[in-house]
Amino acid sequence: MIKLSQERNKSLLAVHGWSAVFLGLLLYAVILTGVASVFAKELGDWSSPLAQPVADSFRPGTDRMLREFAATVDPQYHEEMFVFPRAGDRLYAFFHKHETDEDGKPRERGVAAEFDPNTQTLIERREGTDEDVDAGDRANALGDFMVELHVRLHLPNPWGLLLTGVLGLAMLVAAITGFVVHRHLIKELFTLRRHKEKLLSARDTHVIAGTWNLPFAFILAFTGSYFSFGSAFGIPAVAMVVFGGDQEKMIETVIGNPPKEDKTPAPVADFDRMIADVRGRTDAALNFITVQHWGRADSLVTMFMQYPEGKLLGPTYVYSGATGEFRYAKPSLGLQPSTGGALFELMGPLHFGNFAGVFSKAAWFALGFAGAYVTITGLMLWTLRRREQRGWRHLARATVWVGYGLPLALAAPAYAFFPLRAAGELVHGPMMTVFLLVAVAAAGIAWGLRSLTLARRILLGLTGLALLLLPALRLLSGGAGWPLAFDSGLHTVLALDIAFAVGGLLCLLSASRRHAVNAAADEELDAAVEA
Amino acid sequence: MKMILKYNSGPSLPLLSPAVSTSDPAVRRRFWSRFALAGPVVFLCAALVMCGGALWLPKGAAQIDNLVMPIVLFPAIWAGLFFYAYLDRSLARAWAVIGGLSLVHLAVIGLYVMQTMQAAKAAGAGAS
Repeated sequence: MIKLSQERNKSLLAVHGWSAVFLGLLLYAVILTGVASVFAKELGDWSSPLAQPVADSFRPGTDRMLREFAATVDPQYHEEMFVFPRAGDRLYAFFHKHETDEDGKPRERGVAAEFDPNTQTLIERREGTDEDVDAGDRANALGDFMVELHVRLHLPNPWGLLLTGVLGLAMLVAAITGFVVHRHLIKELFTLRRHKEKLLSARDTHVIAGTWNLPFAFILAFTGSYFSFGSAFGIPAVAMVVFGGDQEKMIETVIGNPPKEDKTPAPVADFDRMIADVRGRTDAALNFITVQHWGRADSLVTMFMQYPEGKLLGPTYVYSGATGEFRYAKPSLGLQPSTGGALFELMGPLHFGNFAGVFSKAAWFALGFAGAYVTITGLMLWTLRRREQRGWRHLARATVWVGYGLPLALAAPAYAFFPLRAAGELVHGPMMTVFLLVAVAAAGIAWGLRSLTLARRILLGLTGLALLLLPALRLLSGGAGWPLAFDSGLHTVLALDIAFAVGGLLCLLSASRRHAVNAAADEELDAAVEA
Repeated sequence: MKMILKYNSGPSLPLLSPAVSTSDPAVRRRFWSRFALAGPVVFLCAALVMCGGALWLPKGAAQIDNLVMPIVLFPAIWAGLFFYAYLDRSLARAWAVIGGLSLVHLAVIGLYVMQTMQAAKAAGAGAS
């Protein structure tokens, strides 16, 4: 038990509540989209699979594929190239140069291509700035929609990142104060007073979920606010002080590849040979390759590996791009292990939960879901306690709107994505339009209906229906059928079809049945809101 | 915002105190002073500590710790300063500590920028 004076405890309880209430609904949106983003890659694999599953994204022949693509790209974009597997394990390559936009912010411009690693043929080619290239991307659109909403709430840079950074800090405050205000931590992990007062039961479920979730909430809040502030504000600010505003120079310095310039043209070494060599050096899977200065004597090829089994950190391997000779192994940052580099490398796996494949992702999904539940039940309890005051009744309606309307609005863009993708149209704009329209309709339900319980059940029921029909929508839009998916080994397609159907059924079941604890709280809130 | 003044918190922490009247100008002043300190001022101070830290932290074996650690640890810097500013019983002391920390880092940054500019000027003069 953490001992505190009554006065301090009251202060921390106040800041715990207010940090959550001020930003709670936005925080819920970020957490919920974060939960979906854990499986963003799988969403891409489900919505845009290739005809056959890919056993090896970087199989022999990758060299010929990249070399032929490079020959069609304007040499000014040979400054840098990266290649990695994306939706359906398509190999995505982007040759680009670095430039600044009208506001002086750094951006990339070049030519991107998607390849089928099985047939090693070009699927699609796009040109322009990194934003243009992303806007034309269809295969990853569904997963990217969730990630963009999670990372910056679809707001322009840097404002979206700054806002999610502030939300991360609010969550950090709620998590830290949660440790302190729930002082009887061990006892509260197991206390559920089912037969006592209904409001107490609702409070107990919030506290149990919140208490179990506290360490995870702390980790997510810390790493999340780092990711948001780091790129939007941390790197530019430190670069401004230490490097006179030159962010490229700062990034070059921390990555640690010595930028010894030699512009002499040189042949590009054999990628297949380098890939075979790196696989002989480690058991970890190769998942990302960058090439600096393609076709020059000073060209460097860096191979980033997936975390080795049981570890959260993994080395990267650097080769000479001109000779193919192995140069050195290094951490992600710096040329030798360091505290700063290790801390930086830990942030990714701790935030994304991708360090142990689908198992750690499932754990992160479940814990994130619990976090969303804690946020929304916390807001419901807050409004319930203040039900006599008229001002809080709008927050009660807003809680139902966001709490139950957002999952519906998140499921809806798929209904624009599948038909438009099948028709060969751009999908990003219409997906956002559908999302906003459904959000507005959900607001209409939350404020238009007198009974909050009814509004909640309608929104939950519609979400269930939207999820349940997703597999049918995928099939009707030309997606692989179950027998074909089973025979071809497209397991992600089958798994997500089943997951969406089960999730939809659970939502429909929950909407049709009046769950005791929630219903009790809802009825009390209904009575107050309708008064 | 009146709501915030009405709810929760203890008597000697007037930020969210239910025990005192919200019409008391001294209480209102203290509330807004604490609000400004724990909010924007602490954020600014954390940003200055992050930028200044890049200049005085040890570089470490890989010569990058001073650049990476302040950015990675920014949420921790902010959280530490926020809870201190929020919980210190003496508001004046909290202002002094946060203000002092900000000024020290501002001075460190200012000195470094001036030295860099002078070095660049000298290098430019040498070249010509």
